[in-house]
Formats: sequence, structure tokens, C-alpha cells
Amino acid sequence: MTTTLATTPGLRVETGPALLQHVELGPSLAAHRTLHPARPAPRFSDLAAAVRSVGLSGRGGAAFPFARKLVAVSTAGGRRPVVVVNLSEGEPASSKDAALALTKPHLVLDGAVMVAGALRTRELHLVLPGEGPDVRRAVVAALAERGRDDRVRVRLHDADPVFVAGQARAVVELMSGRPNRPVTSWQSTSVSGYRGRPTLLSNAETYAQLALLMHEGPAAYRRHGTPDEPGTTLLTVHDTRGSRVAEVELGASWSEVLPDLEPQRAVLVGGYHGTWTPAAELLRLPVSRTAMDARGLSLGAGVVLVSDTCPLAHAATIAEYLAAESARRCGPCLNGLPALAVALRRVADGVGGTGEVERLSALVTGRGACAHPDGTARMVRSALTSFGDEVAVHARGGCRYRRADLGGDLS
Amino acid sequence: MTRVLVVDWPSCKGRGLCHELLPEAIDLDDWGYPVVTSTVSDQLLVNARKAMRACPTLALHLVSERT
Amino acid sequence: MNEQVLWFLNRGTGVVLVAVLTASMVLGITASRGRAGGRLPAFVTQTLHRNLSLLGLALLLVHIATAVLDEYVDIRWWNAVVPWGSSYEPVWVALGALSTDLMLALVLLTALRSHVGQRTWRGVHLTAYAAWLVGLAHGIGIGTDTGERWVWTTYLACAGLLATLLVARSLTNRGPAYHEALR
Repeated sequence: MTTTLATTPGLRVETGPALLQHVELGPSLAAHRTLHPARPAPRFSDLAAAVRSVGLSGRGGAAFPFARKLVAVSTAGGRRPVVVVNLSEGEPASSKDAALALTKPHLVLDGAVMVAGALRTRELHLVLPGEGPDVRRAVVAALAERGRDDRVRVRLHDADPVFVAGQARAVVELMSGRPNRPVTSWQSTSVSGYRGRPTLLSNAETYAQLALLMHEGPAAYRRHGTPDEPGTTLLTVHDTRGSRVAEVELGASWSEVLPDLEPQRAVLVGGYHGTWTPAAELLRLPVSRTAMDARGLSLGAGVVLVSDTCPLAHAATIAEYLAAESARRCGPCLNGLPALAVALRRVADGVGGTGEVERLSALVTGRGACAHPDGTARMVRSALTSFGDEVAVHARGGCRYRRADLGGDLS
Repeated sequence: MTRVLVVDWPSCKGRGLCHELLPEAIDLDDWGYPVVTSTVSDQLLVNARKAMRACPTLALHLVSERT
Repeated sequence: MNEQVLWFLNRGTGVVLVAVLTASMVLGITASRGRAGGRLPAFVTQTLHRNLSLLGLALLLVHIATAVLDEYVDIRWWNAVVPWGSSYEPVWVALGALSTDLMLALVLLTALRSHVGQRTWRGVHLTAYAAWLVGLAHGIGIGTDTGERWVWTTYLACAGLLATLLVARSLTNRGPAYHEALR
């Protein structure tokens, strides 16, 4: 059963087994309390223990172990910490955070409030998407419903509608009244972030997962997923059926998630900083970070893009987009990404060699204030690795996929 | 203990003085920006400090990491 | 010391000072767009800029000393850094003192650049323009040679050169530039 969201035309949110239970009840506080009547206010040690016991990892893309982040913030010492919920979702193909804001805002807020309580701080910040008036409205409404019960001071920030706006340091810059772009980070934001204070900055879904965990308890949480990777994860899927946000159990087979997927198609998993793979390969794998990492694939923030065109041309178009989304603060990114996009386009056009793509990929990796060039290089390299034989076909002037308008719409 | 050269990228304007003063550890890329090619040994330390001082935007830093 | 010698030295160092500091600033302005791989290594230009500034400082000290030691005019040591209270030409001497103060601050903060941070350093360093202008005004106002051709052509050439370079620089891009590849 699904709910249609108005944010992105044609985006559907499907009811799920855990986070997205009973989406049809609506996003109200009353509906939320029907499903989750308890109001846990765990101490830090209990929260950390629960998180550790299920190995909860961040849902913003990097899958950082949340327990480690919690400990880093709480042991950073000195000043009172700050809790930040990242709803900015700078990745254009991702809609899961928007989906949460529109269907389960109180799960996100419950989680954030619990973490703030455990860290003994009253300061909560929410980072909203630049071009998401529906999300803002939903969040503001949810906060109004909760009133002052949570005993936190909430501040809202509107991110710029750019790709890198959601990066950790860029978020801290935004919160500090400076331009919403990355700066060099000498310490983790968990240790020294907003105003030099320990800053727990995590994705909206991470907080929602945590809320669910504390509401149900680890045993119930473990009913979904696998022993090594318990729980569920949200995906944003773009395929022939359209676009949808779906919650899947970790360990489920991709063939269950994408039943209509034709094996000959190319799939980009993990968003624009993710990895390309032939559908046939993906369909053999489970939705599991460990299993996918082992095959050099990244789940990232759960974006799955089934390409209806040639992966080389598609990757080149995405690379061109990513180059244009550089914050233009770091020479290697500002100069290197356009050059990388050009080199990849030449491969897709059959007039350039992969050597130049590889050289530029290595040249931009690790040389910037943020991981934008690294992620772009990863996406580009994966296209060449996964579709090496297609590269050879293009070099001979052919293409086994329906050719897209080169440089046209991202479809 | 290893000494690693780190570039503060938003401050770096690709002026290239670091490469001129410490070519053993810093190359330049296609656009004049530094590529760190090695850690700083005791031998290179004096020149590394010169390179750091010479940077017009103070973008070059030395970080000591426990090996 | 022979007063004539002191007076000549004072006037001479004054005019040469304008030329030397202009040369230093020319290097500073043109280098700020520089990249490696040009005709001169960037660190050579940088060292030259620094050495010219220090030469300027040395000339300034001689200029001040000769003015103070010259008994023909009543200028005290403290008039060189305190911009008021001179019995001789109070306004023009004050401008000289102001220019001296700015230069001393400049040199001091540059020596301590790694301790004060880039932003503070840059703010103070930009006052070089003010130091130059104020110093030039001092020279024009107090200088008994301002009417002489060799003096005002020097001043004009220096001012013209700086103005041209500043305009030329402002017409090009700022920040980490989208460069043409060097190779």
C-alpha cells in the first residue's frame, strides 16, 4: 500500500515493515502515539548500549557506526553538545528524508529528542532542504504539535539547494551564518563542530531508526534484517515504474526490491557518488552493505537509479552535473571535475582512452575540503570497471544500449 | 611519528611556492595546485617549514600522526 | 655631521623611498595572480618583494635619523612615530609619522604572520596602500624639492604604475581560478 507525496511529481511512498508502518494513518502526532505510545527518555549508557547491540549505522551515505559517533560527542568534553538533524537531502535523486518528513516526522523528532536528552543538551537544530517547502511545512507543523513537551530549543536552518550543502562542515557553516559550503576540517564535527562544540550531526533516517529501536527495544528491532545487519533501510528507487521511496529489510534480495528489473540494464546504486553495476550482478546480491562492499558497490544513502540508457553516456552526464555542483572553493575540484567529465564523455563518444579518466580520477581524489571529488571519481571509475566491454564497443563506434541525448536530461 | 603535509584547499590559490621550495614532497597538478607525494622526513623538515612560511595564503600545514 | 649632507640625505632618501616601496608593491600586486612555472620562480619574486620592503624600511630609518639630527629644523625622535605635536610643519610631519606607523605595523605583523593568522595579516597588509599614499602626501607637502622635475616625475611615474596595475588586476578573476591546464 502506498501514499502519494506531492513533493516530487509522481513520487510514491510505500508502506514498510518498520519505519513506514501504517503510513496511511498520516503524519500527525496522534497517529504516531497510536503506533508508539511509549515516551522513552533513555540515559546515555542505555541508548549507547541499544545502538551498539544492533550496530546502527548512519543513513546519510557513509554508514558511520552511530554508537561511535555518540561516544565521540559525549566524550569530547568541555562544552555542551549540539544535536543536528540533517534533512537537507542535497542528492537530487534521493527523496527518503522528504518522505520521512512528510509521513513520519515524529519518529525523526523522537529520535533527535532522545539523543539530546541522553547527551544532556537542550539544543536541537534541524537542517531543511533548500527547495522543499512541503518538507518545511510538515516539520513546522510537527513541531507545533509537540509544543514544549520535549524540553528542547529547536532552530531551523534552510540549506542551499546545491549538492554539497548537506556535507557536515557545510552544515556547520550554515548554522554559523556563513555560506553553506564545505571548509577544511581539522577535527571531526563530533569533537569540534558548531561554535567549537561537540556536534552530533546525523541524517534524518538515522534518528528515525534510533527512535524505532528505543520504542520497540533491540529484540523487536532485530525481527527485521539479518543477525549481522539487523533492521531496515529506506531506498529511493527510480526505474521504469517511476520513482518511489520504499523501506526494505536489510538482507532482502535485490530481486525482491526490483522485481521488474531487466538483467541487461545498467544500475547506479548509492546516488551520484555511488557505483554502477549491471542489473544482472545486482539481482544476485542482497540489500546489505557488507555484501555490496565486498563487490565494490556502495549502498550510500539508498538511491537506486535504473538507467534506461547507455551507462557510459549517463555517467558522463552525471559527471558533468557534479562538476557544475562544485562549491568552487578548491582548485583540484573546480578544475579537475570538469576535466574528468570531459574525459569520460570522450570515452562515451568513443574518441578518448580510459587512461586519462583514470589519471584524473586519481588526481582529484583526496584533494579537496570535502569528499565531492572523491565521490565523483568513484562513480566515474565504477562505470568504466563495470562496463569495460561497453567501453570497447564505443571505441569501435557502437553502443549496445539505446543512446541517450548526449548532454541532455538525466533520465 | 609521521609528519604529513596537509593543504587547506579553500585557502590554496595554486601559487606554487611550496613546490618550488620542497619539490621532494610536493608536485604540481595540471592547474598548478600542490600534490603531496611523500611524508616529511627529518631531512626535509627544514625546507618543509620554509615552504609553509613561504605560502602566501598560509595554506600549507604539517600534521604529526602517530604511526 | 655637516648639515648640508644631512639635508641632502634626507631629501634623497625620501624620494628613493617612494621608488623602492613602489617597486616592492609592484611585485606584490603582480605576484598575487601568479602561478609556478613562470620566468622567475615565485619564491624569488616573494623574496625580492620582502627585501625591497626591508630596504625601504632601512631607507626610512635613515630618512628619519637625518631629519632628527639636522639641527636646522626642530624635529624630535618621537615626532617620527607620534602623528602630532611637531613644531616644524606639524601636518606634514604628522603624515610622515602616520606612514611610518603603518609601515612598522606591516613589518611586525608580517614577521608574526603564522601567529596572527591569515585574515588579520591580510587586513594589516592592505594598509600598505594607505602607508604609501600618506607617505607620498608627506613628501609632496613637506618636500622642498617637489617643484624639481626629477622629483615629481618620479612621483608621477610611481603613482601611474601602481594605478595601472591595480586597474588591470581588478579586471581579472578572483579566487581559485578556473585555470587553463599548465600541461
